[in-house]
Amino acid sequence: MTQARAITLNALSLYAVAAVLAAAYAAQFILHELPCPLCLLQRILFAALAVGPILNIRFGPRPSHYAISLLAAVAGAVASTRQVLLHIMPGDAGYGSALLGYHYYTWALIGFIAAIVLIAAMMLFDRQFEEDDAMLPATGGAFAQIAVWLVIALTSANVATTLAECGFGACADNPVVYELLKRAA
Amino acid sequence: MEFTILFLATAVAMLAAWRGPRPLALGLSGAVLIGCVATYLHHATDTLKLSF
Repeated sequence: MTQARAITLNALSLYAVAAVLAAAYAAQFILHELPCPLCLLQRILFAALAVGPILNIRFGPRPSHYAISLLAAVAGAVASTRQVLLHIMPGDAGYGSALLGYHYYTWALIGFIAAIVLIAAMMLFDRQFEEDDAMLPATGGAFAQIAVWLVIALTSANVATTLAECGFGACADNPVVYELLKRAA
Repeated sequence: MEFTILFLATAVAMLAAWRGPRPLALGLSGAVLIGCVATYLHHATDTLKLSF
């Protein structure tokens, strides 16, 4: 796999992260389901997955960039596994609504495991790590740049919405109102 | 509050990866991961609440 192709796949992975963050926002704003603390942690780790691809697009693919994303994916899988186990007892309705039969944290676990497998698969292709600067656009082209700014914008938006939800104290275990807006009202 | 800080640190790490020096981006990413693990352990050792 050439560097150029690897960078295109890294840009695609950024669109996938952006889609996950956008879907989480859809549940939050359309279904009015506020994310719990463990849900927020999983969102942060999905966002952290994006740092590796951004580095790959800017500096060219390196194993250390993939390692950053791999560590985020493993941490995310641990967090989502915990939430699955919290609700595994028969009769437990789970947290939030289900999508296609699975709750969001179950989808998150599937997503993090898929990320681990895909990152490992990407790292199988050694040729991307060879010096190949002549083929590379400086920052991956418009397709990659839009992906980078999209994921940065969604993560920045999460800073504001998380502050609105949790306020300046500890986040509620089962949040139902935006703490900061409640104080302002 | 810790979640807001972690989101902010992740956004800054992304900006550093895109515009700043590579060691800063890697360092910030490492700090975010350590912060996430610490937050996870803090919550995981709390009294178990099924809504959490």
